[in-house]
Amino acid sequence: MSCRFVPVRDSLIYPELLVLNVVSLSNVAKSYGKHLAVADLSLSVPAASLYGFIGPNGSGKTTTIRMIMRIIHPDRGEIEVLGNRSAAAANDDVGYLPEERGLYKKFSVRRMLTYYATLKGMTRRDASDAITHWLDRFELTHWTSKKVETLSKGMTQKVQFIASIIARPKLLILDEPFSGLDPVNTEAIRETILELQNQGTTIIFSTHDMSVAEKMCDFIFMIYKGEKVLDGTLDEVQARYGQDTIKLRWDGSTEDLKATAGINRVINMGAYQELQYSGDPQVLLQSLVARESVQHFEISHPSLHDIFIRIAGPKLNADDRAPQAADIATATGVAS
Amino acid sequence: MKKVLTVARAEYLIAVTSKAFLLGVAMMPLFGGGAVLVQHLTKDQVDLTPRKIAIVDQTGKLFDVIKDQAEVHNQVEIFAGDGDQRRQTQAEFIVESVESAGLGKSQESPQPDRIDSLLSKRVEQGELFAFAIIDEGVFTPGADAAVRYHSQTPSYMSLSNWLRQVINAEIQRVRSEQLGLSPESVVALSMPTPIRHFGLVQHAEDGTIGEAREENRIITFAVPFGGLMLMFMMVMSVAPTMLNNVLEEKMQKISEFLVSSISPFQLMLGKLLGAVGVGLTLSTIYLGAAFGLTHYFEIAESVPLSLYAWFVFFLLMALVIFGSIFSAIGAACSEIRDAQSLMTPIMLLIVIPMMCIGPVLDSPSSVFSRLISLFPPATPMLMFARIAIPPGPAIWEVVLASVLVILFALASVWAAGKIFRVGILSQGQAPSLAKLVGWVFAK
Repeated sequence: MSCRFVPVRDSLIYPELLVLNVVSLSNVAKSYGKHLAVADLSLSVPAASLYGFIGPNGSGKTTTIRMIMRIIHPDRGEIEVLGNRSAAAANDDVGYLPEERGLYKKFSVRRMLTYYATLKGMTRRDASDAITHWLDRFELTHWTSKKVETLSKGMTQKVQFIASIIARPKLLILDEPFSGLDPVNTEAIRETILELQNQGTTIIFSTHDMSVAEKMCDFIFMIYKGEKVLDGTLDEVQARYGQDTIKLRWDGSTEDLKATAGINRVINMGAYQELQYSGDPQVLLQSLVARESVQHFEISHPSLHDIFIRIAGPKLNADDRAPQAADIATATGVAS
Repeated sequence: MKKVLTVARAEYLIAVTSKAFLLGVAMMPLFGGGAVLVQHLTKDQVDLTPRKIAIVDQTGKLFDVIKDQAEVHNQVEIFAGDGDQRRQTQAEFIVESVESAGLGKSQESPQPDRIDSLLSKRVEQGELFAFAIIDEGVFTPGADAAVRYHSQTPSYMSLSNWLRQVINAEIQRVRSEQLGLSPESVVALSMPTPIRHFGLVQHAEDGTIGEAREENRIITFAVPFGGLMLMFMMVMSVAPTMLNNVLEEKMQKISEFLVSSISPFQLMLGKLLGAVGVGLTLSTIYLGAAFGLTHYFEIAESVPLSLYAWFVFFLLMALVIFGSIFSAIGAACSEIRDAQSLMTPIMLLIVIPMMCIGPVLDSPSSVFSRLISLFPPATPMLMFARIAIPPGPAIWEVVLASVLVILFALASVWAAGKIFRVGILSQGQAPSLAKLVGWVFAK
């Protein structure tokens, strides 16, 4: 199986893994009854990479993650994790933060983390040191002996995150790690993820936040209706979609844009609008300037958000589509 | 195995340091002691209201005797203690003679002045507590005659028992006189001979013959019954707790986190070991108390040490069997309501030995007792009960039962592990029993 490499990090603690694909899936399929959750999926996750799993709800992300975690077994295909093909047991070198999280409410924070750490094979002494370190890092030291049920939601999520990294895993799988977190806690966890990656930990995380995926991930993998539809670096993914995207800031309205010939899709990003346009951008620019003041006009690749919507969003049918560029040229008298 | 022990240790410590465990330890002595205490406190709480009874003596010979005996009862029998300690502990009986004239012979003919009808009204109005009609032919042996006791409080037996005793004693005296027997002869004739219960005479290897040991009938019954009840209590306190724990972890979304670190089978095994440890700890406390009590009351030789060992062995098997089954149900369900419906058939398996204990105690070597004690889910309780009843079952039966129950326990763990693996991450409606069986044999 081919191997892709990621840039060498500052201080790798698992250099032996660099030659490996830490996770390899070959023609993996999984069904629940008649529902095909994952179909013929192949995927390679290079060592020390940060691999983003995206896809709409119910597309097969969590099933794929659970199969990598050996929590469920594929109907067919092979899965290799850290060079191990055995599906028999869970791997102590893999940390996991499931999408549906729960903690023992009656346990104290330290007792609960100790339990998870020893389940991951740590000695109680090592676990104690690690717990002290991470609780301090996440400013939870004062809550060490408090019961989990007394923690706020944000604190609980941080404790859950600590539980997933407490044993210094070589592979860390995070299912929606930022969901429900405020910006401060999001930043704290984001920094830790990047720090772990810098030290050589391979990280897979699923997210619905495309901007997070764009900023953090070395590779993007998108699954839709059980099938792989995207896999590669952000540049590779965006290159597949060409430069048909225009970032625009102008005084006109969104409705005006939607009615403009050649514009197939308008996504309001707040500060600007992202247009999917088929035609000559110069023609469009002239058309827009003729109508309203244009402050920003940038020809670019589509954003991940746009790509996601193009794949998983409602499909445009022939009747809904705006007039094509040739129609504009005729209407405005500009040659395309 | 280290992870299994980590889970077992955690489960064990959680359980034995909980308030529920301490309550469980105290429950049996509390119930036992409480019952004794309540009886002690309520023994003086007797209703001493005089009970007035009307006697319709159609023989004309018994009322005077009854009246005399009532005097004796009221002046002597109803008191306990001597001197300053003397106090009344029973109600006085007041008798009233009622003429038998007007007593209806036919139940069908309307007679408004029938004596039994009038007396019934007096009882309803509270003038009387009861009335008794003594048939004329009660002195004639074999005659179709009786004493008819009427009351609206049939649960109060003291008065009717006293009356029966007095009347029968007088009838016996009169009949003896008619036969020309002296009172001393009557006493000699009616003197019962006790039957003492012994085991078998012991034959030593050197040919000497030992004495048979006299059996204590109470202990002979109490040991197997008490052991069975204790085992039942242990199973009922441990197995459903396992179900609740597994279900709670599933409902609180902890399970997925756990099975990323430990395989579902290891997780279940760890929980099972922890629960078995809790059950054995609890039973060790009770068995220790029982051991101490048997020595204190000098009946230790009636409960040999081997019996304790058998109890622990069969309790272990029962906990493994029902613990694994209940944990599988907990894993398969997403709500307590669903779990309860799946628990019902399993509860029947636990209760079967309780329903069969009567015939087994009565006849421990019958075909029924042998067969039911070889039925693995019932084996732990019933085979223990049979072993506890001297002389116990044949060795081959004990060996066969042990092998069968061990195999069944292993099969239970295996099947529960398969269900646990699938069920622990499943959500939604609880599976049917047929689907659970499908999970067991799924690859």
